[in-house]
Amino acid sequence: MADLITRPDSHEPAELEPLADTVAERLLTTQAPQRPQSTPRIRIEVDGRVVEGFEGQTILEVCRDNGIEIPTLCYEPKLPGFGACRMCVVEVEGEDHPPISCSRQAEPEMVVRTQTDEMRRLRRTNLELIFSDHNAYCLPPCQNKCPSHIDIPGFLKANAEANWRESTRIFKRTIPFPSVLGRVCPAPCEEHCRRDEVDEAIAIRDSHRYAGDQVLKAMLDEAVDPPVPFEVQAKTGRRAAVIGSGPAGMAAAYYLLINGHDVTVFERDPAPGGMLRYGIPQYRLPKVEVLEAEYESVTRLGGKIVCDQGLGRDFTLDDLQNQGFDAVLVAIGCYDTNKLGVPGEDADEVLDGLEYLRTATLGLPYPGHAGKRVVVIGGGFTSMDCSRTSVRQGAAEVTLVYRRDMKDMPAANEVHEAIEEGVQAIFQAGPTRVATDAKGNVTGCEFIRMRPGEPDASGRRRPEPAPGTEFIIPCDRVLLAIGQGPDLSWIGPGSTGVEATKNRRLKADAVTFGTGRPGVFGTGDVRIGAATVVEAIAEGRRAAYAVNAYLQGMDLDEIRTRQQLAEPQPEFLSIVPFTSEVKEPRYRLKAMEPEVRNKSYIEYELPYTPAEAIAESTRCLQCTCEAIGYCDLRRLGIEYGTTLQTLQPQYHQGAGYRSVTENRFTGINHDYIRDDSHAFILREPSRCIDCGRCANVCAEIVGAACYDFMRIGFDTLVTTPLDMSLNDTPCVSCGRCAETCPTGALMPKPRILEKYDVDESRCILCGICVDACPYDALRDGADIELAHTSRADPMIDLLAIAAVDRETEVTYIRRERDWATRAAAEGRLIPDRLLPVLPASISGNGGNGHARGNGDGHAPGHRLGHTGGSEDPAATGHAGHA
Amino acid sequence: MAQDPPARSTVTVSGPRREPMTTILRTPADWPSLLLDADAATSTRRGDPAAALDAAVKRGAFEGLKRCVHELGPTGTIATIAASGLRGRGGAGFPTGEKWRLALRSEAAQRYVVANGYGADPSVATDRTLLETNPFAVIEGIAIAAFSIGATEAFIAVRAEATEAIRQLEGAIAAAEDASYVGPSILGSGRGVTIRVRPVQGAYMLGEETVLLKALEGKRGQPEQRPPHPAERGLWGKPTVVQNVQTLAAVPWILANGPEAFAAVGSSASPGTILVQVRGPGGDGVAEVPLGTPLRDILALAGSETGLKAVLVGGPSGGLLPVDLLDTPYEFDALREAGAHVGSGSIVAADQRACVVDLARLLTRFCADEACGKTIPCRIGTRRISEIGDRIATGLPKPTDLQLLADLSADVVGSALCDHERLATLPYTSGMRYFRGELDEHILRSNCPAGVCRPIAVAAGAVS
Repeated sequence: MADLITRPDSHEPAELEPLADTVAERLLTTQAPQRPQSTPRIRIEVDGRVVEGFEGQTILEVCRDNGIEIPTLCYEPKLPGFGACRMCVVEVEGEDHPPISCSRQAEPEMVVRTQTDEMRRLRRTNLELIFSDHNAYCLPPCQNKCPSHIDIPGFLKANAEANWRESTRIFKRTIPFPSVLGRVCPAPCEEHCRRDEVDEAIAIRDSHRYAGDQVLKAMLDEAVDPPVPFEVQAKTGRRAAVIGSGPAGMAAAYYLLINGHDVTVFERDPAPGGMLRYGIPQYRLPKVEVLEAEYESVTRLGGKIVCDQGLGRDFTLDDLQNQGFDAVLVAIGCYDTNKLGVPGEDADEVLDGLEYLRTATLGLPYPGHAGKRVVVIGGGFTSMDCSRTSVRQGAAEVTLVYRRDMKDMPAANEVHEAIEEGVQAIFQAGPTRVATDAKGNVTGCEFIRMRPGEPDASGRRRPEPAPGTEFIIPCDRVLLAIGQGPDLSWIGPGSTGVEATKNRRLKADAVTFGTGRPGVFGTGDVRIGAATVVEAIAEGRRAAYAVNAYLQGMDLDEIRTRQQLAEPQPEFLSIVPFTSEVKEPRYRLKAMEPEVRNKSYIEYELPYTPAEAIAESTRCLQCTCEAIGYCDLRRLGIEYGTTLQTLQPQYHQGAGYRSVTENRFTGINHDYIRDDSHAFILREPSRCIDCGRCANVCAEIVGAACYDFMRIGFDTLVTTPLDMSLNDTPCVSCGRCAETCPTGALMPKPRILEKYDVDESRCILCGICVDACPYDALRDGADIELAHTSRADPMIDLLAIAAVDRETEVTYIRRERDWATRAAAEGRLIPDRLLPVLPASISGNGGNGHARGNGDGHAPGHRLGHTGGSEDPAATGHAGHA
Repeated sequence: MAQDPPARSTVTVSGPRREPMTTILRTPADWPSLLLDADAATSTRRGDPAAALDAAVKRGAFEGLKRCVHELGPTGTIATIAASGLRGRGGAGFPTGEKWRLALRSEAAQRYVVANGYGADPSVATDRTLLETNPFAVIEGIAIAAFSIGATEAFIAVRAEATEAIRQLEGAIAAAEDASYVGPSILGSGRGVTIRVRPVQGAYMLGEETVLLKALEGKRGQPEQRPPHPAERGLWGKPTVVQNVQTLAAVPWILANGPEAFAAVGSSASPGTILVQVRGPGGDGVAEVPLGTPLRDILALAGSETGLKAVLVGGPSGGLLPVDLLDTPYEFDALREAGAHVGSGSIVAADQRACVVDLARLLTRFCADEACGKTIPCRIGTRRISEIGDRIATGLPKPTDLQLLADLSADVVGSALCDHERLATLPYTSGMRYFRGELDEHILRSNCPAGVCRPIAVAAGAVS
């Protein structure tokens, strides 16, 4: 200030001479490091590859720029490396401790290795440690165990809201026939239901059965189309032939139709349905009311079903392809019953169980069955159907013989119903001989006691005969139900190019379903052997997606990965102690008394009432993670093999680990309470891995600092102060925390509101919405200017601009400081309407100029304060004179 | 433990009533004393700061600072410190001269000196004792460091409950400022330093330098990844020399007596003396020992060594050394070699009544509970280590537990962020190294030889 006063008045400042000691001058003249012409580039070696990066970049940034993946959990690209997750450790040659790549600057000639065994082991240990305190889950166990991975919590939730149509729609995303499956599915899902930890498993099967039945009823009574799970695609003009109208074939047809292809289903028998029609008795699956009604959902989409056309009998693969079918899907199932391989098997009264059932399901009594003593051999669903049908057909005595124990039966959960109905069951006995008399009539069947031997590949103990324990069961008829294989006799002239496997199955890829012949696919039982209906449908659906990819001209090898990604990979489970739930046992389907039902073919299970169906679905704990598919932890867990399937499969004598928190480090873990008090952000601290990303983003980018690490030691958790609700923090609901969260610990809450309405008459163009929106959904547009650019303080603008191009800016502002003089000279200055461009505090001390009186307007900058503050005509006059 | 009469005479210094009494153990006459002046302690503690300053100056205080300012200049001082071989007393043993050079080299308008007198280990009173008895040495050291690296502000971090040390320090700083040893212009040189005492209260982790800096900034104490070291980017992003108060207290002595004299004290790799807190059957107190002194001699200060089973060297994250390693010299490299470390300066003798499993379990649990929770290997890993220890101690170990302990320790060390997690594995790794038989006895026979652990009698593998 002193030199300002003592400056000689005569001195006329040069054009660009700095003004002394104003804030603006100081801002302009403070030395700042000059921006170099360009950032120097460096080269480092990563995994044997020389890559280029900029000086000052971290190893991680260089690697990511060059497409080399280093796993991270706590790294937020907008912020400097934090170093909490230790997942990005890399090996740098010549260093003892492996540095973390997110914090370590790349230096020229550095040799980095990212995927050594040592680094992968460290990362894997870290993941195991995280999982050992990760009291959460990905897929619910029911969905995991379902061969078709139905979204079970999803449809149960719709059920609980009595939205049967939506429930069915969700179901049909993976299985087109909820009512059929609601009757015939062995329901592997229910065995793993977590509700079992509270009281009893949910009746998942009965629940979708009820929902499906409501849709069928609406379709039959009120002509309402059943819901379609996805939008039906426009017609592609491609034609697909599906051979076999069983569950696999029809499921494939359904999803191919939705994808816009023309589908024709060829059926060998007079009516469609395959095993559903000819293998499963009427009392379990009513044919007209349920099966045909469900199949209507296929025909209503435009699918054609051609009956009485058998592959190899009426047509060949050549015929179909010559008729212009772009793809042929073989789904002919398994109809050849296996042989016993014992003497006397060829006797007349030794019947193929499937043949027997076929007659029975047509509604015809099998010839001469009434009054016979019948022995059924086998333990699967066919044997159940044979014995229970035999009871219904008046057999004098029905004996079921199975070589393993009752608990090993594939149909273990149905056998008690058969026993109730009067079937006698003998376990752990295998046939050795069928006794016949001289005329060839069966007089009995000889069995030998079996004892469990060594475990086989499936883990079950292989039964071994115990010598000297033979016994004979006197009988008149023997029904064989010991498994089936496919009939592959059609392979040959006209249908060449496909092959059978060693196990007498159709050879087709497990993911692309392609056979050796281009355009021909195989799926269902014919590919995997006799299995359950739900497995066949899962096969059919996946094959449909493969065929769809083929019809769209995609590379079949490429879809292998796509398919694997699209399929849920249900690898993580966890048992969460649901101790606080109210006990409410399962609502059971009532069944008719055994004495009534064993005479009758009508469906013996009585459906739910609506109230029961809702109550049962409400019991579902909804134990699914919303972040599935987005979760980095899950992705890395799969990549680094810390999943249940890959982690020590031999643990607990082969039973494996039950939950994701169980690994070699299992110990005490935390179980936190979900916080859904906030309107937009859902917090699930049990899923938190304490990476700190939300805390850093909230503090450094948003500026709200709602989260931080709280407590110490093992109990540290990234949460709000005192675990308060986000509503009580300075949260601005921007959602950036949920966006950055690598797991499902912070999630945008599902909103019912789908679209915002902006009332433009009330908008003040404040721009806060533009600033806050994390998804860039709102922005400045051509039509409406959301004025955030003019909100900033001019001083900040000055700084920002000065940083961009310093030299020009200095020149510009210094040139502009005499704008008032020039404006007055050009007659543009109207004192009354003068608006200061810069605040007085910046553009020179106005008071100073004032104090020194008005004659000495040598420094044009002083004019600003002067003219702005006074009406003095002398000032303008003086300026004009200058 | 300390019921027997002390083996050697001790000087007991009584502070204000609420302060715990710290005993300064008298060391053999031929051990040099650079830091503590037991005879002067009483007058310093009781007296008025100005008088204490006069007394200290009479004894030679601030001679080093004068040499630094008038003779050596900043680079000369740093060269002298580097030539003396002084290493940081905070536990890691980083060469002090190199640290100062790094800070001086870093381009910045502002630099800081932080004196770490926090003394994280609650059972160790070395730093506090030094601050109480010889505050002027620390202040002089800070002034020298600040003058050398060009820092104008310095902080002394002290435990908030060490009220006596804080009172002493504040009085001493005021007196030194009045005498122009510190303040706006150090000895009229034109360079100044403002020293502030910052009482901090926090967890064990505050002893770590980056954590301490965070705490001084008013943030949650969590370590930062190094490099960059605080000497390049520390407090508020500025170059900061963080030194233990013992290191700073040694600096004036070096300048006053020459680097050669300092290098002659202690071992060649780690010259000088260090304060230790010895806890043995015959006593418990702080002693100044030359680095490189065998553990046996240090333990002798606190009673006889008969019946000794293990020595815990380095505080809660220290290593358990067996009796046959008692000749290990107490210095940074040799201790690390043996599986222990200088750490908090604590040396605890454990006799036959102590169980290694139980001891290691207690220590690891302390480290796990005091972790700041930033990184996964520390927050979960150290806790899992202590849980494995719990299993072994309660007689429910899995057969693979020893292997698991070793694997986990290696991986925690491998991906660690700071020394806390690296060293928290030491009680068990050193235990497995030297007391394998005792661990095996627990695991294979469910038997605790010391009779401390009470394994469940019917544990699998128990023999009758």
